[in-house]
Amino acid sequence: MTKDKARELFIDYMYGGLDIDTQNQLEAFVQQHPDLKEELDGMMETRQMLQQMPVESPTEQFVMMDPAANKRSFRISLENLWSALKPTSGFGRFGVAVASFVFLFIITGSLTNLNFSMQDGEISLRFGEQPPAQIGYTAAQVELLINQVQAENAELMADFVQAAQEQQEAQFQQTLASFASYLEEQRTSDLELIDFSLANLQETTYNRFVQTDQVLGEIIETVSLNR
Amino acid sequence: MTHMEDAQLVQDFLGGNHQAFNKLIGRWQDRIHHFAYRYFANNDDAAEITQKTFIKAYQKLNTLDDAGKFGSWLYRIANNLCLDELKRVGRKRATSLEALKTAPQTETERAADSALMRNEAIVLLHKALLQLPTEQRMVVIMKEYEGLTFREIAEILDESENTVKSRLYYGLRSLKKTFDSWNINKEVFSYD
Repeated sequence: MTKDKARELFIDYMYGGLDIDTQNQLEAFVQQHPDLKEELDGMMETRQMLQQMPVESPTEQFVMMDPAANKRSFRISLENLWSALKPTSGFGRFGVAVASFVFLFIITGSLTNLNFSMQDGEISLRFGEQPPAQIGYTAAQVELLINQVQAENAELMADFVQAAQEQQEAQFQQTLASFASYLEEQRTSDLELIDFSLANLQETTYNRFVQTDQVLGEIIETVSLNR
Repeated sequence: MTHMEDAQLVQDFLGGNHQAFNKLIGRWQDRIHHFAYRYFANNDDAAEITQKTFIKAYQKLNTLDDAGKFGSWLYRIANNLCLDELKRVGRKRATSLEALKTAPQTETERAADSALMRNEAIVLLHKALLQLPTEQRMVVIMKEYEGLTFREIAEILDESENTVKSRLYYGLRSLKKTFDSWNINKEVFSYD
């Protein structure tokens, strides 16, 4: 036996796959080779350690639902429902028939836009969309309305123009009066100013005369004394 | 595995007895759930994989050639779904495992309480298992946790028995190296 051959047998040895003779041969060979013994012991120890690892179990049990069973159960449910609702008496059957007809009529009506109306003593039944109702005025009515509106507009415009003219005249007269008043006030003010100026001039002239007389008097007196 | 009962239930289902399939679910749900749980270490992921497995089995059961191999066939479906899921989220998981490569040793050393150490060790066991290459991890899970025979595993994986044994050998060796590098040994689990 060689070392390589011994290593090939390690797995079978560890998992009990060797016959007794081969097992004994391997054990004897390994005892003679410490490196092989160390390797084999290490692998066995590794196996022991791997067994220490815990594992978690599934938390719930899977169940595969049968699709055919689901279809069957749905059909059976429908049959049970129908048998429960199915009328047994003649009156019940008549009621179901009437209800079915009304239901069918409503469904058909909703799908075809059924319109039931009564107008001018006539009953009308229409399918599909209803024609649009006449809304608005005739041409003559429109013309009459336009004429009325035009007349009202003309009257309103005349009143407006007249009022505007009256207002303008009043404003013009007021402006003229104001202007005249302003001119009168201005004239009065000017006259007062002229009068005041003349008075000042008169007073000034008088004062000059007085001063001139005084100066002349002093001159005459001086000349007289010098003589 | 009681192949005869499975085969009979499969035949009953194919004959129109829907409840036979629910009996098959009852017989296999725990094992498929545990199998998926070893992959993802997450109960929700395991439940989802289990559910998908049975739905697929329900839809494809009429394609099963040998009713006696229902178990192997079911594991193969679950295994393929696990691989698909791993491909889908592989990058995310790989990233989280990268961070673990340096963390375990210091965390383990810091843990003074024995119970805490044991819990940490269990977490690291799982992480180490997830770090294995997919082919090795599948074989380790099927053999160590599901107790399948080498022949059954070979059937599920469509490989030879020798290939299965070889993967198991390298898987166990790789786990041993990882445990050594993280300072995890069997004494950690004897502190109860």
